[in-house]
Amino acid sequence: MRTVLAIARKELIVYLTTPWAWVVFTFMAFLSSFFFVGSIGQFMQMHEYAAQVGWERLGPEAAQYRNLTDGVALNVLGSDLVVVLFVAPFLSMRLFAEERRQKTFELLMTTPVRASEIVLGKYLGGVGIMTCTLVVTFFYPLLLTRLGSSESGSALEWSTIGLSYVALLLWGSTVMALGLFISSLTESQMVAAMVSFVIALVWMMLKFVASNADEPFRTVLNYISFDTQFQNLLRGVLDLKPFAFFLSFIATCLLLTHRSVEAQRWT
Amino acid sequence: MAMIEVSNLTKKYRDRTAIDGLSFSIPDGEIVGFLGPNGAGKSTTMKIVTGFMPATVGSAKVAGFDVFEEPLQAKRRIGYLPETPPLYPELTVRGYLRFVADLKSVDRKKVASEIERVAAATGITGELERLCGVLSKGYRQRVGIAQALLGDPPLLILDEPTEGLDPRQRHEVLDLIKSFAGKHTVVLSTHILSEVKAVCRRVLIIHRGKIVADGAMSEVAGTSENGLDEKFISLTAD
Repeated sequence: MRTVLAIARKELIVYLTTPWAWVVFTFMAFLSSFFFVGSIGQFMQMHEYAAQVGWERLGPEAAQYRNLTDGVALNVLGSDLVVVLFVAPFLSMRLFAEERRQKTFELLMTTPVRASEIVLGKYLGGVGIMTCTLVVTFFYPLLLTRLGSSESGSALEWSTIGLSYVALLLWGSTVMALGLFISSLTESQMVAAMVSFVIALVWMMLKFVASNADEPFRTVLNYISFDTQFQNLLRGVLDLKPFAFFLSFIATCLLLTHRSVEAQRWT
Repeated sequence: MAMIEVSNLTKKYRDRTAIDGLSFSIPDGEIVGFLGPNGAGKSTTMKIVTGFMPATVGSAKVAGFDVFEEPLQAKRRIGYLPETPPLYPELTVRGYLRFVADLKSVDRKKVASEIERVAAATGITGELERLCGVLSKGYRQRVGIAQALLGDPPLLILDEPTEGLDPRQRHEVLDLIKSFAGKHTVVLSTHILSEVKAVCRRVLIIHRGKIVADGAMSEVAGTSENGLDEKFISLTAD
């Protein structure tokens, strides 16, 4: 356990002392504020419009704009899911590729450390930096609670926001696990980032692929599609299915990474 | 007891044979020069003995533990300096040494004193707070040696530890290695023969993956001034 934590801490130090993490934090903050300002604008527009004609006549689609949680916060967090897709491969690409380039892989492999501890340590470090990236976006819900108001008490429904963050972290950890595995396969960080990005992107768009597919593929694709798995969590409904689904995917990726690290000794 | 016991070690990379049926044994406490021209299979042998990669055929034991069957036991007894010192440029020297101490599971209470000890031994006490990435070649090499010394392993395997050092640093590193006599078993790989002559009592010369000489310095080199050079050149001629 000590070696796992030592490796995780080392990864965090490397992320935070190089531009890597800071570029990602800035990117995350920039895009989130972009979506935030957009959502706020739309929210205000809807309210002005509703004040003139009344909410009843606006139809059911407008209902989400009646409160800040659904109208602004969840919109921003939903867009952040897409940002994570860009950010996670960028963070994960260096995990193994960099060790090999710097020849430090030899150090890890010749000290009394198991391959499983190396994989776990690196993954924990990766999830740690992902969590930091998501913490950057806490700013917007906090801003809404501070400045926003609602007729029914607190401006935001924190349980819903909390579940969305859990979904974000789950998705981030999933792409991270995928990226870790891809990074263990190649020496080139560029290739590692591209491949993990493309796989995660296709996964995110499976719903569109599914709608054009024939049965039984359609059911399968629909089931594993990103939207199906996340729809409940993003609406604030605690659903255990996505946890089982993504955690088993993460476990599979870590297992494959372990095999790939072990296999490298043989080449 | 033999610290290193290698028998019939063979490593093939696809169709190329890097080392071919090596067998040798290194007793406890000896400082051995491991010589050979570039590409003779020195690094390959060391990578196998340190458990970095497995052999195609044969076995290697460190302090009685097979490096393939019981890798953790064997690795705990080895301090290894690879050809390129494995440093993380983003960490400070102290942070780096602490990281390696954690990897080697050095007793938590002793980590700080252990770092001071290896830093003093390698003369990097003044550099502990600097980043590894800004160190000169000589200091990088010394941090690499300091890292190998952490946890006081009985066996030190040093792959070209004086590579890229200026004559003075070279001298210091060699003195350091000489001071290990009796405390550590040292395998010193190099192709600089004068260094071997200065510190090693035993030499092992490999050429094209095979052992061509193995014995006490006086036996291999004879008594003449350039004995080792002449022997090396004649043994490794095609």
